[in-house]
Amino acid sequence: MAVRVPIYGTGPSGRQAPATQASFRALEQGHLHEVHCTAPDRAAALAFALSHGASQAVSQGMGAQAGAIFALRATRRQRLPTLFSGDGLALLGIDPGRLTLVETGSEVEMLRAGLEAARCPGVSMVLMESEGRFADYDLTASRRLVLAAEASGVTILLLRGDAEQRSSGAQTRWSIRSAPSVPLEADAPGLPAVEAELLRCRSGPAGGRWLLSWDAEHGCFRDRDAGERDGRPYVPGAVVPFSRLRTDAGSDNQRQVA
Amino acid sequence: MQAATTSDRSPDAEPAPFALVARVGNALRLASVDRIACRQGLAAGMTLADARARCPTLVTHPADPPADARELDRLLEAMRHFTPMVALDAPDGLILDISGCTHLFGGAQALARQARAMAGYASRPGFGTNAMAARALARHGRADGDIHALPVMALDLDDGALAALRRAGLRSIGDLARRPMGMIAARFGEQAVTRLRQILGEAPSPIAPRRPSAPIRAEARFPEPIARTEDVMDVIEDLLGQAARQMEARKLGGRRFVIRLLRSDGARQGLAIETGQPVRDPAAVLRLLRERIDTMADPLDPGFGFDAVLLAVPRVEPLVERQQAMEGEEARAGEESIVALIDRLGIRLGPDKVRRLQPRDRHIPEGAQAFIPATQAKAHPWPASPDHAPRPLLLFDPPQPVAVIAGVPDGPPQRFRWRDQLHEVRLAEGPERIAAEWWRRRDGHQPGGAGRTRDYYRIEDKDGRRYWMFRHGLFGEETDIGWYLHGLFA
Repeated sequence: MAVRVPIYGTGPSGRQAPATQASFRALEQGHLHEVHCTAPDRAAALAFALSHGASQAVSQGMGAQAGAIFALRATRRQRLPTLFSGDGLALLGIDPGRLTLVETGSEVEMLRAGLEAARCPGVSMVLMESEGRFADYDLTASRRLVLAAEASGVTILLLRGDAEQRSSGAQTRWSIRSAPSVPLEADAPGLPAVEAELLRCRSGPAGGRWLLSWDAEHGCFRDRDAGERDGRPYVPGAVVPFSRLRTDAGSDNQRQVA
Repeated sequence: MQAATTSDRSPDAEPAPFALVARVGNALRLASVDRIACRQGLAAGMTLADARARCPTLVTHPADPPADARELDRLLEAMRHFTPMVALDAPDGLILDISGCTHLFGGAQALARQARAMAGYASRPGFGTNAMAARALARHGRADGDIHALPVMALDLDDGALAALRRAGLRSIGDLARRPMGMIAARFGEQAVTRLRQILGEAPSPIAPRRPSAPIRAEARFPEPIARTEDVMDVIEDLLGQAARQMEARKLGGRRFVIRLLRSDGARQGLAIETGQPVRDPAAVLRLLRERIDTMADPLDPGFGFDAVLLAVPRVEPLVERQQAMEGEEARAGEESIVALIDRLGIRLGPDKVRRLQPRDRHIPEGAQAFIPATQAKAHPWPASPDHAPRPLLLFDPPQPVAVIAGVPDGPPQRFRWRDQLHEVRLAEGPERIAAEWWRRRDGHQPGGAGRTRDYYRIEDKDGRRYWMFRHGLFGEETDIGWYLHGLFA
């Protein structure tokens, strides 16, 4: 399973295909990814984004220092004043020392700083948080980010809160929502769970929907049902096994041209 | 003529007796005492219990030798006001060579008075024709400054030799000086003779003054004023190259670079940048300077042109040229590029806009971490596997007030209203009780003085979102009890 299988798989595609068991990198290294969420789901979207970036850096054998994460946000545009919590990050397997937080005055400055960080070879992930319309993020801006990411191998994640989808050069576009967790004893809230929907994928069909829950043993999100269904041992690492809950295979080919 | 000064570590304005204590073996002993304590019969080396019995009002503070050394260094630099030749006499003395300097201050005594006033500590001066004599007079001498009356303690010999001297009936330097040197050397060691001859001025006692390090600076003056920014930048690059050569020779790198532009009409403009790591590469510094000029509200205004450009590097740190490594080079290049990126962003956006998380040893959730400017942050390992309940990924700052309906007064909430939206609670865990930090408050140990206790609950609502809420205050103790939302779990 450690082999990277694209979402299409090599076998027959479509509804009948064993693509239900196909696994692929949710957020591939060296590309631009967009993560959409509503404001109350921001924590879930951040956890999804950060945990994937973190597991990639570790799987590539980078040191703790080399796997630097730059989290950028435009202060003025923030509706709810929130801070990252180091303990919370550590629970997601991210050493808080890797994180550098950058606050910019405007969204243009954030794009500029993000682009600079993306060109820096020692960085492993650039995370930009925006809320609302984000008018400065157009095709040109996204294409610049894509080129920078491809040249340096940095993963760029753009978190868009309460925003409409806009065409861009991103590799994938996800919509993340919090999902009910599996309760622990005595009706205690369980481990983090998110519902991820792939809205767009540049090299594959979009429209997949997964229910992911946190796997504390391996320190990554994994499909809640996959383990029981395949019965295959889980291989920890960059590859997160996903199986589709629902595919609309008939319109796959149309939907990939977003 | 030489003057030596020993300084007590305590300010002499203290009305109560004061002493510094240090742990020696298993007992707390006085490390040093101030003048009042000395008058009351206390002395360094006494146990703290004995000292307290003699003098119940004694104020103590733990001794901190590294801080003393730093303070002595500062005093040494301050003493350069009187003479360029200042040497350290560790741990608590300074030796000033004041030959040829006294007339500037109105004589040796006036110089000593001024120096002691500048130091601001209780101190004992001693004057001698050579360094060892001055040192011995300052530490063991009486007011008359008679070398021959000094006790044999002034020789700084070990205890065995001192006891032997005393047994032989030799109590002062004068007694010893009258005996033949050969006999002294045979019985008490050669060191006794060397010290004695140094104090008597028969052998040289050189001091090793600390030389002030020359500041790193470069300047360019022009016959005709220059006005174009590009020309100015060329000149600055040239100056940075000169400074880099100076720093390279001394294995230094600059942390702060200051540029002053002197305009022909007398106006002055300043540019300053700071870097996270010591650098001396002119290109890197120039890039940061350009960043700074770009972010300035009014760019360089040359007016009728600049007459001169001055460059100074006021803060330097050791920077050793590193050898090119064969392996791990990529990772190191990556690290260097990150440091450069942080510098660049810090200069463009302001250093407090580029920050890192650092752990703090507090248990109030918002106090347990701090955001430190990335240029000052040190790599701290995050405390692993804390023994408390899980913490959320995002914290609200400040916590958001919510309206809560709870089943029982001190139970978990059943539903809550936040931002005009009603949330039904599906799952709840808690409480995790976090008490206020009473030891940080002035009246914290009094009932009600510590601040309010918080009861934290982990909550999941019907939509599957997880929250961290707390009840501010305890039922039965406080009346208006509020609920706050403090964080969002993934």
